[in-house]
Parts: sequence; C-alpha cells; structure tokens
Amino acid sequence: MKECRIGVYICMCGTNIAKMVDVESVAKFISAVPNVTLVKTYKYMCSNPGQEMIVQDIKQNQLNRIVVAACSPSMHERTFRGALRKAGLNQYLFEMANIREQCSWVHDDPEEATKKAMALTYAAVKRVELHEPLESIFVDMCPNVLVIGGGIAGMTTALELADSGYQVYLVEKDSRLGGNLARVDLTAPYLYSARDLLTERITRVLNNKQIQLHLQSKVTSLSGFVGNFKANIQKQNGQGSTGSKPFEVRIGNIAVCTGYKEFDASRITHYGYGKLPNVITSFELEKMIRSGRIETKEGKVPQYVAIIHCVGSRNLEFHTYCSRVCCMTALKYVHEIKSANPACYVSDIYIDMHAFGKGHEDFYKRSSEVKTLFLMYEKGDRPVIHRAGPKDDCEMLIEVNEKLSGELIEIPADLVVLMVGMEAREDSAEVAHLVNISQDKDGWFIESHPKLEPVATTTDGIFIAGTCVAPKDIPDSVAQARAVAARILAKISRGKIEVDAVYSEVDENVCSGCRFCNKLCPFSAIEYEEEKGHSHIISALCKACGVCVAACPSAAIKGRQFTDSQVIAQIDALISKVEYV
Amino acid sequence: MLYKEVIMAIRVNPRLIDDLERFGAEDVQFCYHCGDCSTVCFHSDQMYRFPRKSMRFLQMGLGRKIETTLEPWLCYYCGQCSEQCPREADPGETMMSLRRWLISRYDITGIARLFFKSLTTEILAVIGVAVLTGAFLLYYGLSQGNFSIYDGEGAFLPSHFIHSFDLLVGACLAVFLLINAVRMWFFVMVRGTSFPVPWWLYLKKLYLMVWHFFSQRRYAECKSTRPTKIFMPWIVHLGLMLGYIIMLVLVMVFIEKLQSGPRIDWSVHIFGYLASVGLIIGTIYFIRKRISRKNYVQYKKSHSTDWVFVILLFMIVLTGICQHIFHRTGLNELANGTYIIHLMAVVPWLLRMPFSKWSHLVYRPLAMYFAEIRRDALERQDAVLPSYSY
Ligand SMILES: Cc1cc2nc3c(=O)[nH]c(=O)nc-3n(C[C@H](O)[C@H](O)[C@H](O)COP(=O)(O)OP(=O)(O)OC[C@H]3O[C@@H](n4cnc5c(N)ncnc54)[C@H](O)[C@@H]3O)c2cc1C
Ligand code: SF4
Ligand code: SF4
Ligand code: SF4
Ligand code: SF4
Repeated sequence: MKECRIGVYICMCGTNIAKMVDVESVAKFISAVPNVTLVKTYKYMCSNPGQEMIVQDIKQNQLNRIVVAACSPSMHERTFRGALRKAGLNQYLFEMANIREQCSWVHDDPEEATKKAMALTYAAVKRVELHEPLESIFVDMCPNVLVIGGGIAGMTTALELADSGYQVYLVEKDSRLGGNLARVDLTAPYLYSARDLLTERITRVLNNKQIQLHLQSKVTSLSGFVGNFKANIQKQNGQGSTGSKPFEVRIGNIAVCTGYKEFDASRITHYGYGKLPNVITSFELEKMIRSGRIETKEGKVPQYVAIIHCVGSRNLEFHTYCSRVCCMTALKYVHEIKSANPACYVSDIYIDMHAFGKGHEDFYKRSSEVKTLFLMYEKGDRPVIHRAGPKDDCEMLIEVNEKLSGELIEIPADLVVLMVGMEAREDSAEVAHLVNISQDKDGWFIESHPKLEPVATTTDGIFIAGTCVAPKDIPDSVAQARAVAARILAKISRGKIEVDAVYSEVDENVCSGCRFCNKLCPFSAIEYEEEKGHSHIISALCKACGVCVAACPSAAIKGRQFTDSQVIAQIDALISKVEYV
Repeated sequence: MLYKEVIMAIRVNPRLIDDLERFGAEDVQFCYHCGDCSTVCFHSDQMYRFPRKSMRFLQMGLGRKIETTLEPWLCYYCGQCSEQCPREADPGETMMSLRRWLISRYDITGIARLFFKSLTTEILAVIGVAVLTGAFLLYYGLSQGNFSIYDGEGAFLPSHFIHSFDLLVGACLAVFLLINAVRMWFFVMVRGTSFPVPWWLYLKKLYLMVWHFFSQRRYAECKSTRPTKIFMPWIVHLGLMLGYIIMLVLVMVFIEKLQSGPRIDWSVHIFGYLASVGLIIGTIYFIRKRISRKNYVQYKKSHSTDWVFVILLFMIVLTGICQHIFHRTGLNELANGTYIIHLMAVVPWLLRMPFSKWSHLVYRPLAMYFAEIRRDALERQDAVLPSYSY
C-alpha cells in the first residue's frame, strides 16, 4: 500500500463546536498521530473557502486520505466527498468525525468534551487508513413509468409524462377515472365545476396513446430497484383478483397517487348519523346538489340547514390533523344552498375557520355577505343534535356552547351536513408495503423530507403525490403531481443512474444459501438465486444498513466501506489507552 | 354562576338580522369577531364590553338578550370602531341601529317600530297630527276670538288657552316617556340582571342621571385622533339639549308672560332668544353634516326618520321666530297664521319624540344611571362572592 498522507480538518462551526471543544488542543493532539501529514482548524469547513482549502491541500501536499471532524455525516458527507472528487481523489478515501451532534451539543464539561473530540477524531484517522477507493456503479434508467391511482393527481402525472413522450401505465382500481373529485359538484373557492375539470383530463387520458390504462386493476407485486422495476398488474373483479394472468410491465419509476377516503361519520355516535335521517355527510350533499335537488328525506325543501365542521378531524379521539378542504367546502355549500333557495337559513358551526389558501379569505367574506350564521364551538365540546318538538318549526335542534358569545344556544335545522374529514385508505398499508415506503401515525405516506423533498420517498424511484401524502385541495394535489412528473423526467433525462458504492456484497463462495438474510433486509434488497443456490444483494437497493452483515451465520456478507477491519480499527482506537492531552 | 340556576339554551333567530336591516344595520353579517372594535372603543370596559358582543348577539338573533343590555346606550357613535373594523362591518352604525331597535322595543304601542320601518307611515302620521292640530286651533280660535287680535281681550288664541293646551301635550309626552322608561327598567334591571340590586342604590346614583342629562359629558369623553370632530358633537348636543329644556320650561310655565306684548319682557325673552340661537345652530349643524356626509362616519347612513326630525325642527324654529317678529311689529293676522303653523309643527314634533331616535335624550341618562347601579351592585356581590363570573 502507498504511504498514507492524511489531512485532518477540525471545524469550529462558528461557536457551535468551539464553545465546548478546544479545537486547537484537538489539532495539537492529532498532529502527533502517525501518518497525519497536516492538521488545520477552521471556522466553517463546509463553506466554499473551507472546501477550497481541502482541494488545495490535497494538490499541494499530495494528501491521499482526508478526515473532517465537524458535524454529522448525514449533514455534510456529500459536501466533502465532492471536494475530494474535485481534487481528483477517490471520494471514499474520506471519513467524518462527528464532534458536534455527538459531542459539543450534548456535553457541558469543556474538558471532557475536548477529550471526546480527540478520541472521535483519532478513531476516524485510524479508520481512514484502511479505506479503499470504491467506484460508483451506473445502471440504465428504464423510461417507462407506473402511476398508481387515477384521481386528479394520478391523471395529471400520467398526462405530463405521456405528453413528454414516455410510456405510462396508469392503474386504477375503480371502474372509472376521477377518484373522489368525481363525486364533487362545484369546487371552492372559484366555483369551477369539478366535472369540467375532470372531463378534460379523462378525455385526454383516454385518447393518449402513450398511456396504457388499466381500470379495475391493482398492482400485485413489485420487484427490482430504481430504473429497473418489474411490476405485475392484475385485473380485479368484485372481491380480490380473478384468475386472469397478471400483466407484467417494466418501469423505471413509480408515482403513487392513491388518494384518500372520507371519514365514517357513524363513528361519532352522538351526531346520530345513520339514525337521524336528515343528518347527512358532505358527500351526500354533493350528490343532492349534483342531482339538482337539496331536500330532506321526506322530500321537503329545508328551511334551515346547519353545517358542522371538523367531523373526525382535529380531535384526539379520531384524527388530530386538519383535513384542510372541509372549511372551504362548507362555504361552498353555503353558496350552493343559498343560490338554490335564497330563503333558506344556513348556520355554519365551526371550530376555527381555516381560510389559508389563495382566494379563501375573500370567499369567506363573500359567504358572510349572504348572511350565513357563523357559530364557533370549542374543540372538546361538540354540538349535540336533538329531534325538535312538535311545536318547533324545524326537524332538529342543535345545542352548542357558542364561544364568541359565551352563550348556550340551540340552532334550528331541517338538514344537518357533517363535514367529514379525509383519512388514509384502508389498503394504504398494503400499498406502502408493496412499494416499500413508510406511513405516519395516521397512515399517510411519508415524504423523504417534509420541506425540501415533498414528493420523493426514502425509496429511490418511488414518488408520492396528492392526498395520499396528507389532506390537500385540488391545486396542491395537482402541483405535487406535476412535481412528481418533473422529478421523474429529470431522472429519465440522465439516462443512467449512479448508485452509491457503499453497499453490501455476498461472497457467493461462502454463502450457504440459508436465506436467513432475505427476510431481514428492511429495503427488500436481497434476492435468492434459485439456480445458483445462494443469496444476492441488489446493490442499487441496498442502503448499507448492515443488518445482513451482522446476521449472516456464515459471515458471507461484506459491507463495503464497513469492512470488519475498518470497523475494528475504529473501535480499537476509541478504547486504546491514548493519553489525550 | 351562582345566580343562574338552570342554564337554558337560547334559540337563535336568524331572522332578526334581516329585521335590523330596516333599522339601519346593513353590514353586521360581515363581522368575524376579531374584537378590534371593542379594543378601540373608549367607552367599552370590563363590565360593559361592546360593540363586538352586541354584534354577536345580533348575528345570532338573540333579541331577548339584546333587549336587556345597556351597551347600545353607552355608545356615542364616535365612529372609531367602524374606522378600525377590517371587515367593514360598521359596528358604530350597528350600535346606532340597535338604539333605534331598542326604542321600538321599549315602546309599548308599536308606533316606533312602524315609523322606523316605514317613512311613509311616519310622514302620514305627522301630517295627520298637524292637520288635526291646525283644524282644532282654527275651530277654537274662530269660535271664540278674533283673527286680527293676537293677545289680550278677544285674542284669537289666548295665552291661558295655549297654556292649558301645552300642558296637555306635555302630559301626553310625559306619560309615553314614563311608560317606556319603566319598560326599559324592567328589561334591564329585572330581566337582564341576575344579581340582587339593593333599592338604596337607586337613590345613591340618582345624581348621575341628572348630571348626564344636563352635561352630555359622555360625548366629550370619546377620544379620537381628530379631536375637533368629537368635540363638536358634544357642544352641539349640549346646545340643543339646553335649548330644548329652556324652551320647554318657557312654554310650559311662562307661556303667558312670553306671549304678552308687544313690549318685550326681557326677563323671559332673553332665555327665549338664547334657546333659539342654540336650536338654530344645532339644526344647521345637523343639516350640514347630513348633507356633506363624507367626513363623518356618524352621518354616513343617517336614517330617513332623522330627516323628519330635522325638517320639523327647522319649521318650528323658523315659524317661531316669524311669529315673534310679526307680533312685535303689529302684523297680528300674520302672527296668528304663523302661530298656527308653528303649533302644527310643534305638536307632532313633541308627540313623535317617544317613538323616535330623539328619545335618546331620556334613555341615555337613564342608561348611565342603570349601568352604574348595576356596576355597584355587582361589585358588592363580588365582595361577598369573589367567584361570581359575569
Ligand atoms: C366533500 C369534499 C369536497 C371537496 N371539494 C373540493 C373543492 O371544492 N376544491 C378543492 O380544491 N378540493 C376539494 N376537495 C378535495 C379533493 O377531493 C381532493 O383534493 C382531490 O380529489 C385529491 O385527488 P387525489 O387524486 O389525490 O385523490 P383521489 O381523488 O382519492 O384519487 C385517488 C384514486 O386512486 C385510486 N386508488 C386508490 N388506491 C388504489 C390502489 N391501491 N390501486 C389502484 N388505484 C387506487 C382511487 O380509486 C382513486 O380513483 C374536496 C374533498 C371533499 C371530501
Ligand atoms: S378544514 Fe376546517 S372543517 Fe376541515 S378539519 Fe380543518 S378546520 Fe376542520
Ligand atoms: S446492508 Fe442492509 S440494506 Fe443492504 S442488503 Fe444488507 S440488510 Fe439490506
Ligand atoms: S372590528 Fe369589525 S370584524 Fe372585528 S369584531 Fe368589530 S365589528 Fe367584528
Ligand atoms: S361608535 Fe365609538 S362609542 Fe360607539 S361602539 Fe364604536 S367606538 Fe364605541
């Protein structure tokens, strides 16, 4: 092996590290370690001058190993690897010591913290000596795309991709396209017709030759990795799949747009949904509006309509989140009811009026114009619906502690509309498992970063859009759908994809074929090759978590960049009796 | 909640807001309860919070609740709240409309309500009363006197007769006002007060009513970024109020001295002139503000019945002065003629008062009086039972 010439950089991170760790002492200590050619401290290593310093030092001092003692590698490993590449050095000849998150931020004794920083940096130096240059692999990107879900989000993604010339497989489990939006009449806040919005999309999907539509179908299996997935699409009839042969497709990326389902109002027993005939859900009202007649079960035109917000949303019992669209939808009903019957009195019983979006506040004001009676209730203190007495001029009376007046009031109602919230579909866990993505506590799919990566997931090549991520309205769903299309197009345009060289490998000569590791891998990266009789790791899927490495009873699996010798050298360094002065 | 044993749910009435629209409240529905208005209102305090809460009761149609509140009377329509309101819900105008509505609620006859809702009815009623008055006076004058004699022997309308006539009209006025005041007391102090009020507080606070009646001080208490505009309404209200009172006393008590002539009896006439000046200035002020509304929130939407008042007042002042001049210059026929016209305006104007906005002259001081009694009574209660929550 060539002589090791290690460059060590100790970051102050402004005062984040320097206020607890004496970086100069660390530098002094490290400079005495064998093979360390150069040690520097700097205020912000990740800054451009900081990186440039590394590049120059590598060139001038023929450094061939780099250690940066700074923040967490999940923060800046990529950054510093980039600096190595720029200087012409293999990017894997690099190691980071985390002296911020795991040291300066969590300790309050500067002396001890400094000693710990010395130990961590020393261990990193010992480890990096054993690093080997690794090469990233490149795989071909299959340009076909699978879109699961034919709602407004799924159709939009499919159209965007197909219009760019790529083959799209659109799988919809229902017998028609449109999803939940097909059940809506007008849309808030501009009162566009949902039907018009959808008809245009649906016609375009049906006429687009690049889109292969599979109605009443489900994706039953998925294998492979980003750029090279294989999926089976199977026609459904009634319950479960039919005997018909599944249709196999090859795709490079997948857009999951499976949407939401409405909250089941009968779960809130005291609203009497299902028992009181004239307590209906928002979707039932949509149906009435679409049929052109808003009436009670007895066929009368209601004189009083009451709308109750946050049904199933924003409480500890059911869902804590806000469903985001029901407030504006309720206002939309106000307009629709009032225009159908101007003499009708509409009470809107809400917790808070969430009018955050474009045009929403104006829409709220316009709803005041038609003299809607807005009433506010306390989160934990739901309105109670009673049947009215024979002397009352209404069907029901709603009792509520009205917050803005402080009075206990009763509101006449002939028709009560429950604004049911959105929730994850019952088969969302199935879908999540199929495409290997995670769900949050409410069942919504988790994005890889809520701010910066809103449509990507932790599985490469799987993207999510629309209301399967969280409740949202049409504009937000469509924006996400187009974002997914843009992300996929960017991937396709690169032609090949680079796979991180840090992954695990099975030594086929040692593997006994026990298949123990196959089930353990959290990323489904291990497949069993029947004919050869041993396991194989798909490098593009492996995230190098190391589970299989530790589990293999034959020690047949090696984690690249996490070899036994590297890890042991690091541990040895940490527990060795070095005098940290 | 010690004094409200069982809390019964109150039924909302979405129709009340439509009703109030005819009393002038056109924008209440826009209020979304940010509370800015109550924050800027100089008169709103811990116990009497407004105008937001009044807006709320009105939106919900809690008529029986509003009936028992004093808040509308504690507002002096400085317009600060309406200027601040982000939703242009015009809380100041709403308070004004609520005062009109309250007047119609205090009024047992239902006349006030009719007048507020239909200008035509009001004008017809005014004309009717005026014609009746004129006919009666003409009949009386012609049957016992001489049209060309103004005072003394054989006078067309002898002063002792006018005196009795005035007292009769005054008595009617007093009876109506008294009934309304009692109803107001009943709404506010009986139905709307859930804590005990000791009787002697009524005596202790009596001075307040007198003080507020004569000083109209609350107008001057409104603080504004533009002080002159607030100061003016106070001066004008003070002037008008004093003008009315002096005139009323002169007419009710000293009419015979006032009507004798042609020599001017300065001991009474000096007051008459002063009062006339006050009334003229007040009337001109009101007319001007109602014509050039733009600078004054208060007059942006003056109710049509306000005009009936202004026009009648103007006629009274004009004919009063003419009649006085004609009499002193010996033009007795003209003096008698204008006198009849004068009285034809005075009688409907006075009788209309308990049914119109101008009864606030009585309700405002009463409201201040009741408000302070309630405040004291509640404080006494708090001292005994600190946990009582209003
Ligand atoms: C009462 C109500 C009124 C509304 N009004 C408005 C409004 O006025 N304005 C507005 O902006 N928004 C409104 N919304 C919100 C709007 O409905 C959603 O934003 C929009 O429908 C989301 O579209 P989506 O494609 O994400 O989901 P969805 O419409 O739910 O579509 C998902 C599709 O995926 C299919 N699918 C699900 N699982 C699978 C699977 N495993 N395999 C294959 N296919 C699958 C479903 O069958 C469905 O067709 C309203 C919502 C409600 C509840
Ligand atoms: S959008 Fe409105 S009604 Fe829907 S959950 Fe949120 S606050 Fe409640
Ligand atoms: S290292 Fe982790 S991700 Fe990679 S194959 Fe093994 S278990 Fe799977
Ligand atoms: S400022 Fe306007 S919107 Fe706000 S509470 Fe007052 S009247 Fe209502
Ligand atoms: S008009 Fe003036 S006094 Fe009346 S409520 Fe508004 S701020 Fe208060």
